[in-house]
Amino acid sequence: MPGSTPTSSKQDGTLTDTLAASPPIAAGSRGDRTRMALSRFSGAPLVVFWILIAAILAVPVLLFLAVAFSPRLFDQGPEWFTLSGFSQAFSGPLLQGVLDSVFVGVSSAVAAAAIGFAVAWLVVRTDVMGRRLWTGVMFALLLAPSYLVALGWERLLEPEGVLDVAGVHPGGLRTLFYGPFGVIVVLTAKGLPFAYLAISAALRGLGEEFEQAVRVHGGGPIAATRFTIALIAPAVWSALAIVFAESVSDFGVADTLANDAHFPVATYSLFNAVQAFPIQFSVAAAVGWVLLGLVALALLTQGWALRSRSYRVFGGRSRPARRLHLRGLGRVAALAGLTAVLVIGIGIPAFGAVSASLINGLGSLITSHGLTLANYNRVLNSPNLRDPLVYSAQLALIAATVTVMLAAISARVLSRRGTHVSARLLDMTLLTAVALPGIVFAAGYIFTFNLPVFTQLGIQLYETTALLVIGYIATALPSTSRVLLGSVSQIQESLAEAGRVHGSGVFGAWIRTVLPVLARPLLAAWLLVFGATLLELPMSQLLYPPGQPPVSVAITHALANYDFAGGTAMEVVAVLGALVIVAAVWTLFRVLAPAGWRRIGSSA
Amino acid sequence: MTQAPIADAAPSGHHVEIVGAVKHYGKARGLAGVDLSVRPGQFLVLLGPSGSGKTTLARCLAGVERLDGGMIRLGDRVVSDGKRHLPPERRNLAMVFQDYALWPHLTVSGNVSYALRRRHIAHAESQRRVLDALDQVGLARLADRYPHQLSGGEQQRVALARAVVARPGLLLFDEPLSNLDADLRERLRVQIATIARDSGATVVYITHDQSEAFALADEVAVLDAGRLVQLGPPEQIYRNPETLFVARFTGSAGEFPGQVTRVSNGHVDVRVENGATLRARHGGALSNGAVVRVLVRPAATRVLKETSGSDAALTGTVVDVAYRGRGYDHVVAVAGGTLSSVFDPNRWPRGAGLTIRLDPDGCVAYADDSADTTPH
Repeated sequence: MPGSTPTSSKQDGTLTDTLAASPPIAAGSRGDRTRMALSRFSGAPLVVFWILIAAILAVPVLLFLAVAFSPRLFDQGPEWFTLSGFSQAFSGPLLQGVLDSVFVGVSSAVAAAAIGFAVAWLVVRTDVMGRRLWTGVMFALLLAPSYLVALGWERLLEPEGVLDVAGVHPGGLRTLFYGPFGVIVVLTAKGLPFAYLAISAALRGLGEEFEQAVRVHGGGPIAATRFTIALIAPAVWSALAIVFAESVSDFGVADTLANDAHFPVATYSLFNAVQAFPIQFSVAAAVGWVLLGLVALALLTQGWALRSRSYRVFGGRSRPARRLHLRGLGRVAALAGLTAVLVIGIGIPAFGAVSASLINGLGSLITSHGLTLANYNRVLNSPNLRDPLVYSAQLALIAATVTVMLAAISARVLSRRGTHVSARLLDMTLLTAVALPGIVFAAGYIFTFNLPVFTQLGIQLYETTALLVIGYIATALPSTSRVLLGSVSQIQESLAEAGRVHGSGVFGAWIRTVLPVLARPLLAAWLLVFGATLLELPMSQLLYPPGQPPVSVAITHALANYDFAGGTAMEVVAVLGALVIVAAVWTLFRVLAPAGWRRIGSSA
Repeated sequence: MTQAPIADAAPSGHHVEIVGAVKHYGKARGLAGVDLSVRPGQFLVLLGPSGSGKTTLARCLAGVERLDGGMIRLGDRVVSDGKRHLPPERRNLAMVFQDYALWPHLTVSGNVSYALRRRHIAHAESQRRVLDALDQVGLARLADRYPHQLSGGEQQRVALARAVVARPGLLLFDEPLSNLDADLRERLRVQIATIARDSGATVVYITHDQSEAFALADEVAVLDAGRLVQLGPPEQIYRNPETLFVARFTGSAGEFPGQVTRVSNGHVDVRVENGATLRARHGGALSNGAVVRVLVRPAATRVLKETSGSDAALTGTVVDVAYRGRGYDHVVAVAGGTLSSVFDPNRWPRGAGLTIRLDPDGCVAYADDSADTTPH
């Protein structure tokens, strides 16, 4: 009897009668009736989330970029449509900055990809000593702000710097380092972990059968290596694209070493345009477009290089490759190479900073320079040096907490089942924001929140701590969302649903059933954002409230005022402080978190 | 393992009423207007193929999905009416999920006591009920273990204990046995039937396995493409399937197209392709000359030792044979189709010729206009 509606269990009357006779609202407690009424607005929290995302990620950047074409629209000039910003960006010193950026971007990308491949191959495919250590070095490099790496080198090599004071005159090395070569070295060191992570992941997935096939068909070790590189081409291109994009977007080296070496790059040109009087927003926006274009170009080149080829080499039948046993000269050469990476990327900058902080009067005109701890005493007791540290720590605390909360929501939206348009839109927004240079973000904030419309609306955010914190959150949110996406995607929806059907509300179910499972990744994300925000430079440099510099700005100011010892002491204290906080938070988690929380995600 | 009911269990199941339930996922239709009523304490099984809407219906009952239209009433409360929605935690129900959904950071007793903590039951009472529930499922000795330290069957039993411990008015089971091996499935099926009934709760149980449905249910609701196509006790569903879809889904040895040559008292004669005439009950009004499909239940086939002249017998060739312990299931190619699950205590080799008699009461003829009733 197709199409019939069986209701054999109904005892009397029809179900339609029942519906007609049912009360208009749930017959239950007043609380239940309120819940039923509020359930009409269940989408409201998501709307608030989207408004927040638009306000902190999309609108400032889009408005800023729009001013490049239409200054009049924002009262920044007489023209409704003009390309004059672009003509300035492509002429004179600004063009030089763009060309320099491209040059150092390409050079550091090639260098980082080559060195990254070598490090990844040694760690993944050989039995080189200290493999965990070298992986740790890569992560340390990933977390170290580029301006601190540059400043460490500068303190050693500059005139009257540590080496001069020690009686070792660097001469030619100084000349070489204060120029494009030095910029490329630092950017390569900063790009190396990206290349390493991309290439090592590909090498781990590549079975050894392809190399064996080359060898049994007459190819030597070099031919086999060539094949390996060809097979992991997606990872190599990915490494080249990422390092190029990171290098041209970098502001830390641009503001320190490149500036001191009078080697203009595009990000510093943008900074100058925003700092100029009167502010040249349309020029800055044009440079912003150029930076965006360079990043897009890198990604397009990657796509073009890989088009219409298949690199599906990893399957269920792949055998994990055996590690090559290094011996004799090869062993020594491998260790020497890895040690050189450690020394150049971390050792020298750390030594430069620590030694400079221990020298009395470094940078000043006094001629006798003894070793002293007085600089640390100054940092801890002088308000000019101590307050920025405390201020930055407070801001980092707030920014990390809010960022992780928003990132967890973003990751949840991205990982929802089905193909939601909202998820795709958010994914695109976050990916674009990840690729966006920090300095463009910062300029977008200055521009947007300085617009008269905000004053008319009674929103006074410009030159306030609140705007700086929002800027920090906007900078950290895209990458933190991606970091959390993996863990959040692994959470089965039934976990929280089970919490709901067994008696918890939305928030309670999440706190009691999902948070314990996500505690580790959330904590790791919090620490990453905290550390990165504590030492963040581009946003801080452009958005700090007058008279309240964060620690990164205070360091660069101290160094610009030739207080090398005080600046580096502050640098050391900030880095040590970050490490102490990371250690303390993990220790607290291990001691205080319930046993069940600690079991999840632990390797034991 | 103690099988006694939870002490002081009160039979207080919800009366469940669903009227015109509609649910869409984008353009896909999950529920297309389902009407259903479940008496307090009744064990209802929702049976249907993948995509039929049975899980959607259970999730709407649980409150983890919102109806787009229609109404759900639990007891005297309308909990969902398409616009408004009472959250799951206010519905006094519990659910056993297909993947069990045990919380990995809580021990077995932590998982089981969760619902009691949410209901603010005193600690001593809570502990007693947790131990009772765990004792019922035979896991009291594993109370301090974490879920990952348990086998699949043990995890399933923890989920069962967690569901019944707070004595909810409605117990929902979302294919709880689908991840287990055959032996364990049968043992746990018995345990679920006993414990769920002892709890006094109304039970809505989802499965795509007709034998599981018939073994457990007081009533079976068969769903297809988001619609309820038949509701009734297992015996009624099996003996009188109202549509070809229900008949196919609840057990078929084969189908034969043909034409009705005679309608008699409760039966029709159908001339099938090979010229044989099959006698069958009719699954709807049929008249002489109607084009039909005759569906044959596995139990309706019998291997004849000698060739028979009976019209209701089919001759064919064995194409496959499978040992089933107490005998053999044969797949036999006959003119106009194939018969599977043809049981005989003797093994007939591949290629052997067989004559098969069909019991008219195990054959049902349906008008052949059911192109959209193929199980998905």
